[in-house]
Amino acid sequence: MMSGRRSIIAQCALLIIGMLLLLGAVDVALAQPFGITRGSPPPEIGGFAGWIFAKQAEFYRMMSGTIRAAKADGSAAYTLMGISFLYGIFHAAGPGHGKAVISSYLVANNETWRRGVVLSFASALLQALVAIAIVGIAAVLLNATAKTMGNAVRVIEIVSYALIVLIGLRLFWVKGRALVHLLRPGAHDHHSHAHGHAHDHGHGHAHHHGDEEEASAWGHAHAPEPRELGGRHWLRRGLSAVVAVGLRPCSGAIIVLVFALAQGLFWIGAASTFVMGLGTAITVASIATLAVGARGLAGKLATAKPGAGMLLLRGFETAAAALIVAFGALLLTGYMVSERLMAI
Amino acid sequence: MTASLRILLIALTTLTFAAPARAHPHVWVTMHSELVYAPDGSITGVRHHWAFDDMFSAFATQGLESKEKDKFTRDELEPLAKVNVESLKEYDYFTYATVDGVKVPLTDPQPGYWLDYKDSVLTLNFTLPFKTPVKAKELKIEIYDPTIFVDFAFAKEKPVQLVGAPACKLDVVLPREMTYAEGKALSNIPADQQNTTMAWGAQFANKILVHCP
Repeated sequence: MMSGRRSIIAQCALLIIGMLLLLGAVDVALAQPFGITRGSPPPEIGGFAGWIFAKQAEFYRMMSGTIRAAKADGSAAYTLMGISFLYGIFHAAGPGHGKAVISSYLVANNETWRRGVVLSFASALLQALVAIAIVGIAAVLLNATAKTMGNAVRVIEIVSYALIVLIGLRLFWVKGRALVHLLRPGAHDHHSHAHGHAHDHGHGHAHHHGDEEEASAWGHAHAPEPRELGGRHWLRRGLSAVVAVGLRPCSGAIIVLVFALAQGLFWIGAASTFVMGLGTAITVASIATLAVGARGLAGKLATAKPGAGMLLLRGFETAAAALIVAFGALLLTGYMVSERLMAI
Repeated sequence: MTASLRILLIALTTLTFAAPARAHPHVWVTMHSELVYAPDGSITGVRHHWAFDDMFSAFATQGLESKEKDKFTRDELEPLAKVNVESLKEYDYFTYATVDGVKVPLTDPQPGYWLDYKDSVLTLNFTLPFKTPVKAKELKIEIYDPTIFVDFAFAKEKPVQLVGAPACKLDVVLPREMTYAEGKALSNIPADQQNTTMAWGAQFANKILVHCP
């Protein structure tokens, strides 16, 4: 029973990774320097990846019809929830930095998949709440214009991306130092010292975060049992990632909410936003679980081959931290647009 | 174990890098376009009428003041039209012109653009002038959003019209390769008629082709 369920989860994860690999392939094919793409139409997207794009667009478009229908017939609200859920699942499989940042964070911090799932759901929930709060406060209470909402989103965006950079930098500092340390000769003496250090902080409930990070980084180097360290610290630590990712609302959700509001059905729009978030969380959690799985395998390899394996592990973590910095920086400088809101 | 690890690593790297600026459309535009010609037969501009989908129309008009509920006059929509047109500049108005195989620049819209609101749908009307009016043997106008945030589709009825053009042949075509049967059907349409009968299908770029003698 249990193993059957687990294999279903594994299959779902594999399916989603398959989709992503396909999307990735399409993205690589489309990636061309700026300026050159202008003037020539993008190549046709076909096959499975095209099907995903088409599907999420289709679900999104179906929402306006069902919201309108819900005005006259309450049962259409159920249909809307179903569509929102599917849209959420497909949407998170597509673009967006959330899944990448969460996955990289989990890998760099050596978190468990359970924590990954919790963080994925928390960030999706926050994302839904932020969208509802923006439209609720700006449009319902203040009757603000779309432009004002767009400006609010832009400010939130900058804060969110800056947070991503900060989280990445902090992790990179900790993990990068661990890597450099490993590369230096005579690192072993320091290890045992650091190990004790970690236990100190783990049980003594460290107050400064930097130390705590460092401690767990060193601690893993010797005994990969992060659960023994820090107790519920991971949640507090993970909160920063949740906030950084969840702060930026999905523009699709905002448009749906405003449309629902225009139909006098704001609460149906809000419910739809939460269901969308649920779908998003499932996809992000699946991807995060996969990332944690890869990290786990690397960890096993590290224990099997202490020298090179440990180097690989630390390298892996440092690269994941560097990726977070890169994502944040690209988003912040506008080279990577996660989603447009007021395009026209 | 090493093999599976490698596969997972590759998968992870791919998915992590596979998050660039690619979204599904959030805005749908149904287009009517006119190509405007000067008396001497040179093309002077592209006149667009873009109708937005109902969700985006509701979003864009949120919070706008109007005398009558759910109705907006051209004047009331004027500030919004200004924002729309000004932010479209960054995207080259999603309109790209090629004259006899050479890309030619279009300039910013002339004043006098406007938005209207009818049946809960916003329509943006604006004209993009050619920098220098040209006599084109083969004119190609492409309309698309490279990031697919905006999904453009021609209207079913009279999507494109020539205004004051000399005896030119007009085609509105899909970006994908046409099948042999479709190509044949297209060639069977008389030269002075518009191609409005072909299937429209999913499309990323909409092309207007004008062939003048």
